[in-house]
Parts: sequence; structure tokens; C-alpha cells
Amino acid sequence: MNRLLVAGNADFLGAESRMLLEAKGYQLNSCERPQDAVALVLEDPPDLLLVEKGFAEGGDRQLIKAVVSCLQKSNIPILLALSADELANEPDWQDAYPVDDIVIKPLVPVDLLARLRLAEARMLRVFDNNPLSRLPGNTSILRAIRRVLAKEEPFAVCYVDIDNFKPYNDRYGFSRGDEVILMVARIIVNVIEELAREESFVGHVGGDDYVFIVHEEKAEEVCRRILHNFNMVRNLFLSAEDVAAGEFVGLDRQERETRYPLLSLSIAVVGTGGGRYRHSGEIATAASELKHYVKKLEGSNYLLERREPDSAGGAATNGGDEVAEVETGKK
Amino acid sequence: MPARPAKKQGAIMVEPELTAEQQKKRDNIRKALREVKNLPTLPGIVSKLTRMADDPDTSTDQMGKLISKDHILAAKLLKLVNSAFYGFPQRISSLNSAIILLGFNVIKSLIISASIFELMEEQDVELWEHSLGCAVICNVVAKRLEINDPEEVSTAGLIHDLGKVAIKMELPRESAEVAALVESAEINRFEAEQRVLGLEHAEVGGWLAKSWNLPAKLVEPIRCHHDPASADNEPLVSAIVHFADIMIRGLGYGHGRDIWVPPLQPRAWELLRFKAADIDEILDEVEEKLWDVKGFSLDIKAEAATTATKG
Repeated sequence: MNRLLVAGNADFLGAESRMLLEAKGYQLNSCERPQDAVALVLEDPPDLLLVEKGFAEGGDRQLIKAVVSCLQKSNIPILLALSADELANEPDWQDAYPVDDIVIKPLVPVDLLARLRLAEARMLRVFDNNPLSRLPGNTSILRAIRRVLAKEEPFAVCYVDIDNFKPYNDRYGFSRGDEVILMVARIIVNVIEELAREESFVGHVGGDDYVFIVHEEKAEEVCRRILHNFNMVRNLFLSAEDVAAGEFVGLDRQERETRYPLLSLSIAVVGTGGGRYRHSGEIATAASELKHYVKKLEGSNYLLERREPDSAGGAATNGGDEVAEVETGKK
Repeated sequence: MPARPAKKQGAIMVEPELTAEQQKKRDNIRKALREVKNLPTLPGIVSKLTRMADDPDTSTDQMGKLISKDHILAAKLLKLVNSAFYGFPQRISSLNSAIILLGFNVIKSLIISASIFELMEEQDVELWEHSLGCAVICNVVAKRLEINDPEEVSTAGLIHDLGKVAIKMELPRESAEVAALVESAEINRFEAEQRVLGLEHAEVGGWLAKSWNLPAKLVEPIRCHHDPASADNEPLVSAIVHFADIMIRGLGYGHGRDIWVPPLQPRAWELLRFKAADIDEILDEVEEKLWDVKGFSLDIKAEAATTATKG
């Protein structure tokens, strides 16, 4: 972890800092034009980013936004270099400058080095993220569920998994399986970014299981779009012959030849509204019950727990390839 | 799958004997093109996209539609999604899928990072129209032949002349020489490129697409668009792009002073299995869609003109 992208006016870093960092093994890449820096972040992302505040008329904010808004890269630490006067003006750390740390201009080489090192160390420590998708893992998922349970407005906690993933893995191999896991992660993240950004969360339980949380009124639209996008992209991850056959042959647990339908997604949606759940464990139980039903449906589907305010068992609606009314709670 | 045809069946010789000097020249060109970093696109498209990116109501679909009208941005998008970093090497062959997987923010960043042609030359606009027109015909033909994913075929059509842009950017001197030779010797561009560079733009485009990790489904049609008989895995898609390239030239899109319409390879014609009546129907269908291309082209030119006066 030692590739540093320096974006700012010519030589704001200073020869001394440059020499020190290079001596300490950092590979420096300097950009004076924000579009060059963004291109680098896209195509050859650095491990760390040092940005000079206010360079190129808002180019600094554009660059920071490009880095933090792309979830795949949200773990590149960003350091902002600014003057003491600029600091006194209290920049908007929340929206305009969501950075990890600051350094004060004129830069003091040893100070800069220490801050870079510490940023890297912090990065490693908070790593609950899934190594493949880089999405937050179980600790963060639990925390996110607890957070929305404490809120008054209703949220939907949605459990996603890939149907027939194991036979796919057996047939196509692990590295192809990893591609599919990553593909689904990207689809979920991108759909939520586009349709339901506010207060949403996406986590990766592990393997082919994911959780996302959105405002309850957005849940159906998000589910529908995820399934739609999945169906658009899926065939690129299957061989032409399997697509033509509409199924693939694999071995079941008893080593018998079995025909499996092609990959599909199942989403079980549990609402937090109405105060029926007090504990994150209860949500997980409700979801696994729901999942049991949605997994039985053919193709890609989502199943929404439907609450009637005063009835004991909830009915459920589903969507996707199949349109059928499914009941939960009985049998 | 049809058996692989003999190499010389087509109108074009594929593997001419190379002298040591020619080989050296080719190696040098390969080296020069490996450095190609940034292919600039037309100012009209970039300013339109930048405006869309700033508008909170813009959807990924809308931006995707616009990007799929620009051969250079389309190529960049595919390069990005197939790069090792994003995790789908040689897998993604359609623009819609690329957009779904990269997401809105990455596309916005892609637009910010796009550089524009310093000067909008007549030729650049022509090549852009030619690429877009070729994609339109590819789509019509692919649907007619009931190919599984017609969008994939139009994507191949859209970026089939990638090599031309790369040659122009990285080898401007040779590129000018080629253009001059086309006019003075009254030969087609293919021949002129062979004489000046010792290779032609389809081969260059093929290299580039391969080095960008694009899937074979796209690399082969790009590489074989002059000689679809040399396609090993995608003979039909290569034949469609070949056919569309020639048809759009015949319709007068994007000749770039090379006024000779190249001949259609007999092998491609066999694969497509069209009758004369089919061609009439295809022409009818295509003509209508090309009006949109023309309209869009005027739009983009107007956009570029306003940007130019503002800047």
C-alpha cells in the first residue's frame, strides 16, 4: 500500500516532502488537472490520495466526489491539504469534503508522512468489509439493522441470495463463481445509488448472501430493478450452450446427475414498520421464513411481507417472474 | 458451425509475406499504440453528457443511451468494465450490462475524465456518423437473423473502427500520409494503410481491443471486419459487421475522402444467406433509423458550436 496520487497545483507538495516520501517507498503520481486525476482514479486507482483544497476551481471537490461515491473505491484514504486560514473557515466536512484527514499547508514532510501512515493503519483496522465485494460485513450489517429498528419511519430489510449458485460454482469453477458474486454486489449497489440513496445500506453477509436496507416505500421498486438488471446481465456469465438449453446439469449432494435451472435471484423483504420487531434476530428469523417461500418459486423473485395492522400472521406478495399470492406463517 | 474456410477465399489477402523491414515497422507501430491512453471524443457529446450528469433527474438509462451513440465513449466504457480492477475481465460485451455493472457514479466520473478533440474536424464527425450508422445496420441485421443478443452485435459495429481513431491519435504523421495517398493514388484506405503502415486499421483495432481485455465476441468482429472469413469463433457476427460497414459506406456515411466502397466478401454473403428482397427490406428499415442518426448528428454539431462560442 504505497501508491500515492497527489492532485493539486504544481509543486504544492514541495521537493522536500517528495524526497522523503519517495525515500520511504511511496510511488508518487502528480496531477494538476482534475480530469487527469479522475481518469487515474478510474483506470489505475492509487492506494492513497492527497488533494490540495481549492485547486482548479472546484476540481478538488469533483475528484473527492468521484472517489467516495464509487463504493468500490470508498476505501482509498483521502487527505486534504489546506491552509490555516481555510481551516479557520470551517469547511463542510459532511458534504463538500468527506475526507479522512487533513494536513496544513505549508506541508511539513515528517508530519505528512506520519498522517499517511496512520491513514493506512486505520484503514486496515476498520476492515469488516468483504474482501471480494468490499462491502461491509456482518458486524456492520447488525449495526445497520439495529439503527433502523430504532427509527420511527419504516425501513425494509432485504435479504438477497443467488439461486443455484452452488451447482454453478461446481460447473464453472470458483473464479467464475466469484465473478457472479461480484456482479450481484455491483447490481445491488448501483440500483440503490440510483433509486434510493438516502439512508440506505448494502452489506455482504458472505458467499452468495447479501443484505440491503432502504426506506420501505422504495423497497418494491428497488427489488424490481435489481431483478431486471440481473436478468439483463446474467447471460454474460453463462455459456451459450447453457443459455440455449435453459438449464445446466450438475451433481447433487448424493452425487447424482441433476438438472438445475439457470442462475436467478431471490429477495426476502422484511419491513420494520409497526414496531413488531424489537431485535435484529427477529428480523433475521422472519426473513429466513420468507426466504423459504421465495426460494421455491421459479426464476427471480422478491417476496414482500405484507402487514395487516391487527392480524397475527402476515400475508405476503411477491413479484418478479411469477405473480402469485403466497402466504407466510402457515405451514 | 461452418467449417473454417480457406484464408484466401475473400477479396483480401490476410497474411502477406513480410520483409524484415516491414516487420520492424509493424513492431514499432504496435509499441506506439500500446501507449495509447486517452482517445478523445467529440465536444458536442461531452458537453451534452456533462449537462446530463449535473441534472439530478437523469437516469443511468438516459446516459447509457447517449453513450451508446458515441464509439469512443462506448469503447472506454467497455475497457473500464473489462479491466482487472472491476473484476470482469473479458466478460462484458454489451453496453447495457456495462452500465448496470459500473453504475451512475462511475459513468459520471468517466465523463469528467473524457477529453475532447481539440479541433472538430470534418473527418472525425464523419467517422462518428459512420460508426453509429454501422451499429444501426448491425442491429437491424442481427434482429432479422434472430441472433440472441442483437445489442452485442451493434456494440461490435459501433466500435469496429477503433483502430482508425488510435492511428490518428498516436501516429498523426502516418495518418496524414494515408489520407494523402488515398487521394493521389486513387486507392482505398485499406491499401493505403498497408503501404504506409504495413498493416491496416482492423488489425490495430483488434490488438487494442484485446489489450483492453474486451471479450473475444467483440475483438474478433473488430479484427475481422474486412475479412470475416478469418474469424475463428464469431464468423457470423464478423460477417454482419463486415456487411454493415460496407452498406453504410454505400449509403454515403463516413468515407473520409476514400470514396471507394470495398467489395463484400463472398463468404460473408454465404453466411448471411440473404436474398435480394431481404436487402430491400433491410434498406427500408435502416433508412428510417438513419434519419435519427442524422438528426442526432445535427444536434451534436449545434451543441459543439454553442460550446465553442461560449469557450
